[in-house]
Amino acid sequence: MICFMFPGQPLAKVPTLPDDAEFAEIAAIACDRTGLDLESFAWRGEPATDQVALQIYGAAMGLYRNRVLRRAGFNPAMAAEHSMGIYAALAAVDALPEGEALELTSRIGRTLAGMGKSGSYALGCVTGLSAAPVLALAENNGVYPANYNTSRHFLLAGEQHGIEAAMAEALEAGAFSVSSFPADAPLHTPLIEAIAPELHNVVADYRFSEPQVPLMEHIEQDFLTAADIPGFLVRELCLPVRWEATFLAIRRAGVTSLLEAGVGESLKKYNRWIAMEHG
Amino acid sequence: MSEELIAPVKQLIIDALRIEGMSPADIDTDAPLFGDGLGLDSIDALQLVVAMEKEYGVVVPDAATGTKVFQSVRAMAAYIAENRK
Repeated sequence: MICFMFPGQPLAKVPTLPDDAEFAEIAAIACDRTGLDLESFAWRGEPATDQVALQIYGAAMGLYRNRVLRRAGFNPAMAAEHSMGIYAALAAVDALPEGEALELTSRIGRTLAGMGKSGSYALGCVTGLSAAPVLALAENNGVYPANYNTSRHFLLAGEQHGIEAAMAEALEAGAFSVSSFPADAPLHTPLIEAIAPELHNVVADYRFSEPQVPLMEHIEQDFLTAADIPGFLVRELCLPVRWEATFLAIRRAGVTSLLEAGVGESLKKYNRWIAMEHG
Repeated sequence: MSEELIAPVKQLIIDALRIEGMSPADIDTDAPLFGDGLGLDSIDALQLVVAMEKEYGVVVPDAATGTKVFQSVRAMAAYIAENRK
């Protein structure tokens, strides 16, 4: 039983893009619907931030990998998503056409980027500490847990100075590694509720079909229906991603093979760790 | 002493990280494990820390030590040789 997993936003563009007809088609759709030329990573339409470009790139690569895997004969019995992997996942399960998924990615990203005009935000990655000290240092520094990826890998989000202080505290507490990245908005935190009405307005412009492949969401590990999707798309930006719980739920559902459809292998690595701990 | 550990360390990396389609001979003993070398990241490093402790009883206590230990296969082998129980 196969599950396709759609990862979230990549941190950087891989230097070499796929060179085949499938990617050329996806890139053309992306350029048409978002204004981003994936080859040059330049805006042909209304410009947006680098983070928005990476979000579109991530969604495009998810759509591409979905096509390639299916063409190779892999047919998923279910799908799962992590963070902004939701947009490609929606297209992969036929809940939304590919072009609309890319456009939605761009519009959500641009709405999130509006927060960056009045604040300076960042994401902080902590590897090696367990949940309790990570949650404590997040609270100490006024930032929030954004991803529970494994028992020892967490992403925090919040204002940049808070993230920097939290990363320093994590190192002092014995973290194996820490790193931080600029962000347009404090993704997966309650701070996003400030722009929830705008996000709802964006989502309301799309009509979602029933997923043709069961799609497990990363908050409560439920399977999304068409009626659930609009609310989920806003709610998921206000709440942390719970990937460890999602992976364990995928396995309980009977999945025996997980294929990552996107940039990199982060989900595969999280799964490897979780499987080591849970057998 | 640490030379004898080069091949087992390469196998440990392959096994711990479940790298498919790679044999110990494919791993350069002196190439960086991170970045341009084997392309590992912090998630991989933590997995190697656990594997080294399980296999050799060797502890990597902090990030600074990890940076040195995971410079290459040779550095890993040397650290294990010096600290194994």
